[in-house]
Amino acid sequence: MNPVGRRRPDWWRRVALIVAALALAFVVLAPLTSIDAAQQAGLPLLTDKLWFRIATTVAMFVALASGWNIIGGLTGYASFGNVAFFGLGAYTVGVLVTNRGWPFALALLVAPVIAALFALIIGLPLLRLRGHYFAVATLGVGVAVGEVVNNTSQLGASTGLFLPIVRSDLAFFYLMLGAAVVAVLTTWLILRTRFGYGLLAIRENEEAAAVIGVNTTFYKVAAFCIAAALTGLAGGIFAQWSSFINQENVFAISDNVQMILMAVVGGAGTVFGPVAGAIALELIIQTLAGGGSGAVYSQIGLGVLLAACVIFIPRGVIDFFGGRSRLSWRYLRQTLRETSA
Amino acid sequence: MSALLQVENLSAGYGMTPVLFEVDLDLSPGELVALIGANGAGKSTLLGALSGLVKISRGNVRFADRPVTGLRPEAIVANGLLHVPQGRRLFGSMTVERNLLLGAYRRHDRQVSEDLQRILGYFPALGDKLDREAATLSGGEQQMVAIGRGLMGRPKLLMIDEPSLGLAPNVVDRVMEVVKAINQDGTAVLLVEQDVVLALEIADRGYVLENGRIVMSGPASDLRRDPAIRKAYLGV
Amino acid sequence: MEIFTADPPRDERVSLLAVRDLSKRFGGVSALAGVTFAVDEGDVLGIIGPNGAGKTTLLNCISGLYRPDAGDIRWEAASISGMAPYRIARLGIGRTFQIVRPFPSMTVRENTAMGALFGQPDRRLQPGVALHEADDVLELVGLGEKRHYPVLRLTVPDRKRLEVARALAMRPRLLLLDEVMAGLNGVEVEQALQMVRQVRERGITIVLIEHVMKVIVGICNRALVLNFGRTLVEGPPADVLKDRRVIEAYLGQRYARDHG
Repeated sequence: MNPVGRRRPDWWRRVALIVAALALAFVVLAPLTSIDAAQQAGLPLLTDKLWFRIATTVAMFVALASGWNIIGGLTGYASFGNVAFFGLGAYTVGVLVTNRGWPFALALLVAPVIAALFALIIGLPLLRLRGHYFAVATLGVGVAVGEVVNNTSQLGASTGLFLPIVRSDLAFFYLMLGAAVVAVLTTWLILRTRFGYGLLAIRENEEAAAVIGVNTTFYKVAAFCIAAALTGLAGGIFAQWSSFINQENVFAISDNVQMILMAVVGGAGTVFGPVAGAIALELIIQTLAGGGSGAVYSQIGLGVLLAACVIFIPRGVIDFFGGRSRLSWRYLRQTLRETSA
Repeated sequence: MSALLQVENLSAGYGMTPVLFEVDLDLSPGELVALIGANGAGKSTLLGALSGLVKISRGNVRFADRPVTGLRPEAIVANGLLHVPQGRRLFGSMTVERNLLLGAYRRHDRQVSEDLQRILGYFPALGDKLDREAATLSGGEQQMVAIGRGLMGRPKLLMIDEPSLGLAPNVVDRVMEVVKAINQDGTAVLLVEQDVVLALEIADRGYVLENGRIVMSGPASDLRRDPAIRKAYLGV
Repeated sequence: MEIFTADPPRDERVSLLAVRDLSKRFGGVSALAGVTFAVDEGDVLGIIGPNGAGKTTLLNCISGLYRPDAGDIRWEAASISGMAPYRIARLGIGRTFQIVRPFPSMTVRENTAMGALFGQPDRRLQPGVALHEADDVLELVGLGEKRHYPVLRLTVPDRKRLEVARALAMRPRLLLLDEVMAGLNGVEVEQALQMVRQVRERGITIVLIEHVMKVIVGICNRALVLNFGRTLVEGPPADVLKDRRVIEAYLGQRYARDHG
């Protein structure tokens, strides 16, 4: 078996890339038709409220999945608590804007910093754990942070926080798109550097990485902080976009799991895998949720889909695009094992 | 009596990678046959194909006058063909005694505990270690347990894969003594060994596997003296 | 920096690596119970002994994967006992593992380059340069033509070569080899011995753990026998392998008989 990814025929790859480029161009430019100026000029309205809601959510999950990918996919430490960073970013913006009257833009700059600091504090002890233990410990932290927030009156407790409403579908879409681009770009940059190779080495065989000179502690913690920052940024944008945050919508365990699944189904360890996974999964979730009995069917449908993915496309969706995929479901299983063989 | 094990034109491999090509091999009851060859030649794959762990793509295998090609591993074990895999592969967190008894998992007769005593007779060193966790034993002791576990299944043929791997020279001696003793007591043995000298010293006959094909076979004494073998495997 | 005061080493030079009274326990079991020896630059030291004697534990302590419970390890008279593995690596100590530990998703070339990328004392390489250095090392160990193979395609002897290549790419001064010969047949052992000789010719000091006596006799200038976590005998291989205690504890009568 060739673990470095089979190569699909070139024409297929080119077609896929062209389609992807066109889709991206549409996504980036179409929203501009909703500007008053464009409307007055007679351009057809290509995007409506629903379009913006879905597109912004998709962009958000691209950022979240890519963020997770850095600690889970590249470094091999499958964190089950990244939603804590999302929530912390959201609440940072929420508190600074609502309680302190800060301008949103400024608050948004602080959000990733807070998230990264938190990652530094819990990362140092937690990253000593491996596999299942790390997964469970981070899950615990994710749940705990949400509970603490839910019980802290200065943070709005169970009532939540209300931010001043800012109506601009367009702005928030581009903002979230920006976060997604930053996340993907960060991943791409990491994989081109020495740092990236170090993370891969830690994933594949941490003891070997250590004895060839990789400062494993520093690298792991750094990856965790970067992932946290990206996740926190998305959380901060979400807070203002949604105008209302509480434990349920920013510390949701379902989001936690979703970002992991998206990264893994798409192709963990690659640059575009999480992108493909986030887009594919979120669109399916939105479609299923829309049809009739909504929630239940969407969950069942999702479950069936995931099972099919594990069986038929073990390297992730990215495999269809001839990507240089590293490993996927198998690796997730492997990384959840305690020790590297 | 006809051959205990008859392998005809066997080809096998892993997924898209073929490893064995047209292998012919046979073994009579009570024989000790050595299978030697370089790393990657396919020795472990051949044992795996015989015990049902590796898919056979062509050819057939008869054991004790019954066709066993393509049977599931449990069925092959039930026929009396047992495999002691490379690297010991014990159940580390279980006790030595449990590991041994698990070798008799498929047996429903009442002589299991008698057999356990008999087998401990081959490995006196294990006598006082029965309730230690298998993972805490030394390499040599683990190899003894692995072979003992195989014996607990009352095999007609025991296939042992590289028992000397990673063991100290004096421990290797003891393990080989045991293998010889088992054979003398009536169990046929197919022995895969990297240490060619060792293998040919205790075997009756030998087969040489190279790149998935049998390239030579004959009485062990002949093979020991063969110049091509001495050059290729002993570096002489 | 404290001067290492013990029995004066030969020639009054400071040994490259000095281990003194090293002890390591796991639960109630003493894996190392006070091991003492020194390695001088240019030595090829062979460590032998029964399974469980503490050989791999010793290597793990030296390379920093384990923290010793007692005793000291010194690299050129500075203590490295308990130092983080990556720092020990960058001092110039490379090692291989008994069961090889390659990076499965990388090619042979990338695996080797990792050693150059992270392990070279005083140099921080970029990936491009590291890959070039890897090519040289791969030629040395005989894997040049298989540079672009994925690791999973390699045979066992080749994987062991790769393990050595990755360590060599670190430009180490000391190389620790853990049972590199296990599972190799006569000819493969010869080839591996040749490779080890070439490593020594590059001026690298070597400490190797082996069960294959051919290697100890063939390339080591000194041998150390460990038994139950302690040093049993130390000296030139020829003497050590004839020692009655060693034959009893480790070699067995057959070896004694076959080698006079």
